Order: sequence, then structure tokens, then C-alpha cells
Amino acid sequence: MAAASVRIESVTKRFSGHTAVNRLSMEIAAGGIFGLLGPNGAGKSTTIRLIMGILEPDEGKIVLFDSPHGSRALSQRIGYLPEERGLYKKMKVLDHLIFLGETKGIGRAEARKRAQAWLERLGVSDWALKKVEDLSKGMQQKVQFAGALLHEPELVILDEPFSGLDPVNAQVMKDIVVAIAAEGRTVLFSTHVMEQAERMCDRIAIIARGEMVVNGTVAQVKEDFGGRHVALGFTHDKARAANILADTALVAHVDDYGASAELQMADGADPEQLLAALVREGVGLRRFEVVEPSLHAIFIAKVGAEAATAHAQAGVAA
Amino acid sequence: MKKVLAVVRREFVERVRTKAFVISTVLVPVFMVAMVVLPALMMSGGDRASRIALVDASTTSLGQAVSRTLAAEKLGHGSDTKARYTVQVFPAAGGDLATVRDGLVGKTGFSGKKHKDGWDGVMVLTDDTLASGKLDYYGGNVGSPEAMAKLQRAVSSALAGVRLGKSGVDQALVKQAMAPADMDTTKVSDGKLTGQSGQESFMIAYFMGFILYISILIYGQQTMTSVIEEKTSRIMEVLTSSLTPFQMLLGKVLGVGLAGLAQMAIWGGSVFVLSSQRMPLAGMFGMSADAAQSFPIPSMPAGLLVVFLLYFALGFLLYGALYAAVGAVCNTIQETQQYAIFITMFIIVGFFAVFALIKDPTGDLGVTMSYIPFFAPFTMPVRWSLASVPPLELALSLGLMVVALLACVWLAAKIYRTGILMYGKKPTWRELWRWVRA
Repeated sequence: MAAASVRIESVTKRFSGHTAVNRLSMEIAAGGIFGLLGPNGAGKSTTIRLIMGILEPDEGKIVLFDSPHGSRALSQRIGYLPEERGLYKKMKVLDHLIFLGETKGIGRAEARKRAQAWLERLGVSDWALKKVEDLSKGMQQKVQFAGALLHEPELVILDEPFSGLDPVNAQVMKDIVVAIAAEGRTVLFSTHVMEQAERMCDRIAIIARGEMVVNGTVAQVKEDFGGRHVALGFTHDKARAANILADTALVAHVDDYGASAELQMADGADPEQLLAALVREGVGLRRFEVVEPSLHAIFIAKVGAEAATAHAQAGVAA
Repeated sequence: MKKVLAVVRREFVERVRTKAFVISTVLVPVFMVAMVVLPALMMSGGDRASRIALVDASTTSLGQAVSRTLAAEKLGHGSDTKARYTVQVFPAAGGDLATVRDGLVGKTGFSGKKHKDGWDGVMVLTDDTLASGKLDYYGGNVGSPEAMAKLQRAVSSALAGVRLGKSGVDQALVKQAMAPADMDTTKVSDGKLTGQSGQESFMIAYFMGFILYISILIYGQQTMTSVIEEKTSRIMEVLTSSLTPFQMLLGKVLGVGLAGLAQMAIWGGSVFVLSSQRMPLAGMFGMSADAAQSFPIPSMPAGLLVVFLLYFALGFLLYGALYAAVGAVCNTIQETQQYAIFITMFIIVGFFAVFALIKDPTGDLGVTMSYIPFFAPFTMPVRWSLASVPPLELALSLGLMVVALLACVWLAAKIYRTGILMYGKKPTWRELWRWVRA
């Protein structure tokens, strides 16, 4: 295993009277895709800003590439897409990308070449000579994404990279992220969309209230969570299932999605018992499958209570 | 350093490309022409020949004496002179005075234009005039102080001549005694003649101070706005991950500063062209060459120009850095007001120091102020233009300014570094002090 790209050692960051990150430790190994998950206000962005050296930790330390230098000295090896998207509105798209490349130490001519290649790849090359403010939000986001990757960094840090994108553009971005990881580079991205993380990430960390909740490979996290889970799809007469799903001897926990549901079996209960009961009641089933718990289910189970209270703090730096 | 250059280039190019920059660059020279031409056109009224009717109600034919003196007044310089006044005397003995006067006044001013024999003014002389100097003048041009002063001077000298003559003084002697003094002033610098007149020195000193004052106010604010823009557009989160705040701010101060200096250079160039071409220009606007001459555009000695430009550029950047620091503290333009006022105070003190310095260029106050980086850009060029400054003192003052510039950018960067992510929260003075020490 290669050296760690990022090592966070017992880091604490407080804002006036509010602890955003609390004695957080984690290690992001080189290579692969690392997902930083958590509800709003969990401290994801603060953690990323700490890694980027934009904020200084109050306690603990952060080591990048096992180097004694901070992120700014290593900035040529790091690409960063902040949560707060920002570009110079009056600048032309191509000029802007060249400038971002230059701030990472790439020569002007080389930066121009790469910028054009990226615009081509992202399908916005027609807009190269337009002003940034003339672009749609989604296009601006793609431009900034390109700006973060222009210098081919070995560590790419993306704060909520897929938020605000339509499915087509999200797909384009996802393909690029996967391609970067395939080249052996490291991607760290934060999200609160669990399905995405589940499909893309090799390793994840779930944080809530600035503290680590779960950390490890996706398979490991699921295994540790344990329990037997069943996914249901209903066709008709779902109402007849209500009593069965409410039976705590059979079912420990239900996530009801309306036309489908994901549930965790109570200890000692068999999925077969459940199926028999459902059929007996005449519930129309489209799907009945014994599954691994989804990250979503794990997330809700682990931080559900906190996520609910976190809304009260909405507006506090995420 | 390469990164700083990238920031400088961005700031410069983006600024120069804006419509506002292009428009102001073009419009200001046009405005300058208007500024020079319009007042000259308006003032030229006092500088044309005028027809004066002299109503003589005196018993000593005072009219003839005054008429002679007025007729001798010349308009213009050098060879192309002509009589300033065309005078005709109307004797009005006894009770005719009111009739004669009112008849003439009827053809004066605007209504005078309708008559071939219209008048610009009617002057009434009585016996009392010789005794007490009291006389009346009715005219369309009484609003021009310059024209009135000239007229009054001429009449005074005529009266003095008549009075002296009456006391038995020989007319030739009177003429000799009344010849006016004509003083030309020339500035001495370092024991050598500079060829500048005293008025020119003052004009240059004032002009330099004023240009710096105006340009700092305009461009300093732009630097400040640009820092705040960076915060509101949230671009700085990306930038701080690749640039140090010092690099960012130095690039910004230099970039905005260079754009400003480039514009100044264009304006300065057009002033130069305008002043060297002022004769043809004056012709174009139908002004007499005389009126064009009356607006003095002082020439600057090369040495002074170099000193001025050096201090101008440094002062400009220094204040730019101060404004950048203010921008780093604040989140909105409105918030900046209470901090920017301190900078404005520095500028105003520096500007007014120029006036103190003009009075006493070698005094302790002036010398001290030319070492204080914030005031030096105003005071040192003036000191240089009015008195000789040893090269060592000049070098010391310049060195101090460079140090202060870097210190200011450093200080601004310190504040920026900490203030950068404090959206929507205004720091207290104590917090500011902590950020600087951090």
C-alpha cells in the first residue's frame, strides 16, 4: 500500500462557541476514491478547508503526502473544487482557466493547451471565448472543475462536486472522477448523496457533528453494520403489509419509500417468515430480496437523530 | 514570482479591457480640452477692444486727459498689438449731463449691438472726479473683474497725471514717474538659475500634488473594491489554496496600480500633445492666440519629472496596498467607509502639507514629512522642485517608501489571511490586532 495522501491526526476546529470538527482522525490512502459523508453541518467542508490549509486547526495536525510542508507549498500536487463555487464573472472562460493553471505554476502556453483540451472534453469548447457570467450555473461548475484538474494533480479534493448538476452532466463528471482514480491518483470528495458514494467510493468516512461515525472500505462498513436486510417492491395492496412491517418481533427497522421499502430484520427473525406473512396477507410484491444494508440505511441509522437536529443549525458553516 | 506575475497580468488585462476604462481614458482628454478652452473662451471677453463713451461734465476738460491715457493702453503682446480702448469724448456742461448720459446708455451693452455707434460702456467724469477720485461707469462688461480692474488702473493713472500737472510738475517728468514696474520672477535652485518663474514653480508643485491626490482616491478605491469582489465571488477559496495572501495582494496592488498608471500615462501624453499644439487648437476654437497663452502650461525639468514619476508610482502603490488592507477587513463596500476615512485623512494631510512646503521648502516640517512614506509622495517632489535635495536624502526617502509598501502589503496579507473566511462578520480592532500578530 502506498503512503497516505492525507493524514488527519486528532484535529479540532472551533468557531465562536461552536465546535465544527472535534478530535477527528482519519487517513486517506493514495489511490482510489474516498467519500467523506455526513449530514448538513457535519463538518465536511470545514474538514476539507482544514486539509487545504484555508483554515488552521486549533488542535491536532494534518499531514499531506507525508511531507512536512503545508498544502500551499504542495499546491501543485493538489486540485481543489470548493463548495462555494466562485469564478471571476467578467473573465473569458479560456482566460480564466489559463489563469487558474498559472496559479498552479503551469506555463502560459501549456496552460492554454490543457484548458482547450478540457473544455473540449467537457463539451463547453464553444463557450471558450464567452464571459463566465454568460454561462449557466452547471457550465460554470464544469469550468471550475476543469480548473481544479488542469495541472493534473495527484490528489483531487472535491467538495460536493455533483450538487446542482443535471443527470447528464453529473454522469460526465462521474466518468472523469472514475478515470482519475483509474490512473492511480487519489480523489477525496464530500457528499450527502449516499447512492452516489456507495457506487463510486472505495473507502468512506461518515462524520456527524464533527466527529467520526464510521470509517473504512464500503464492504467493511456494511459488514460491521451487520443485521439482515430485505428490500421490498410493492405492486398493490401495500396497506395490508402495514401490520406485518410494524411487528417488532419480525422487523427491527423500516425505511418506507412508498412503492418500495428497505427493512432490517429483527434479531432471530427469518426473511422467509416475512415473505410467508406478506403472501398470506395478499400483498402484491414486485421484489423481495435479501440484501446488504445500503449506505443510506447505515447513514440514517447512525446519524439519523443528529441529521434531524442539524437542521436547527443550518446556516452555520457546513 | 511567476505566480505574482500571473495575478498582475490578470488584474491589468481584465481592468484595461473594461468599457469603463476605455471610455474614461478617451473622455478625460476631451474633458481636459473643454476645461482649458471653455474658461479661456469665457474670459476672452475681458480681452477684446472696447468702445467707451466718455461723458465729460467737468470744467477742466478732464475728459481729454483720461481719453489720452486710455487710448495709449495696448491689447496683446509683442508686435501684433492694437488699442485696447476706442474712446470718444462727449462734453456735457451743466444740466445736460443726465440727457447726454442716458442717450449714450441707451446704446450700450446688448442694445448697443443694434446700433452702428453702440458702446461697451459709458464713463462719467465730473469735477468731483478730480478732487475725490469718484466717477461712474455704466457698461455691459462690469461683470468682468479683470476688465474693470484694467480700466480703473488706467483712469487712476490719468487722474494722478492731471493732479501732478496741476501742481506744476512737468508733464514729461509725470510720464516718467508713472511708468509701471514690470517684475519677472525666476527661481534659483542649487545656486543656479532654473529658468522657471515663481508662478510656474507653484503651479507645478500644486499640479503634482493634485494629480497624486485625485489618482490615489480613484485607483485606491479600485484596489479595495477588487479585494472585496474576490471575497464576494468566493473565488479566493480556490486562490488561497494555490497562492499565498502576500502573492495575491501584491499582484493585485501592482496590477490595479499598473492599469491606473497606464491610464495616467495616456492622459499625461495627451496633456503634452495638447500643450504643444495649443496654438492650432486655439485657432480651431476661434480663440485668440492671446487667450491660449493666458493659460500657462508649465514645462517640467527632466530631473523633476523623474522624481515626480518615481514618487507618484510608489505613492500610488503604497496607498493601493493600504486600501487593499481595508478591503481585506471588510465584506461590503459600505463597510469600508469607516476604515477608508483614515486613509483619506493621510492623503489630505499629505496634500495640504504641499501648501506649507511651498511657503517654506527647507523648513523642519517639510523635511520631516518627506521621510514619512505616506506623505513623501506629496512632499518630496515639491521639495525637489522648490529647493535642492541631496541625493542621499532622496535615496533614503525612496528606500523608506519601498519598505513601507512591502510592509503594507504584508500587513494587508496578514489581515486578509485571517479575515478571508469571515463572511458577514466585522472584526473588532482588538481582533484585527490579533490577526496581525498571528
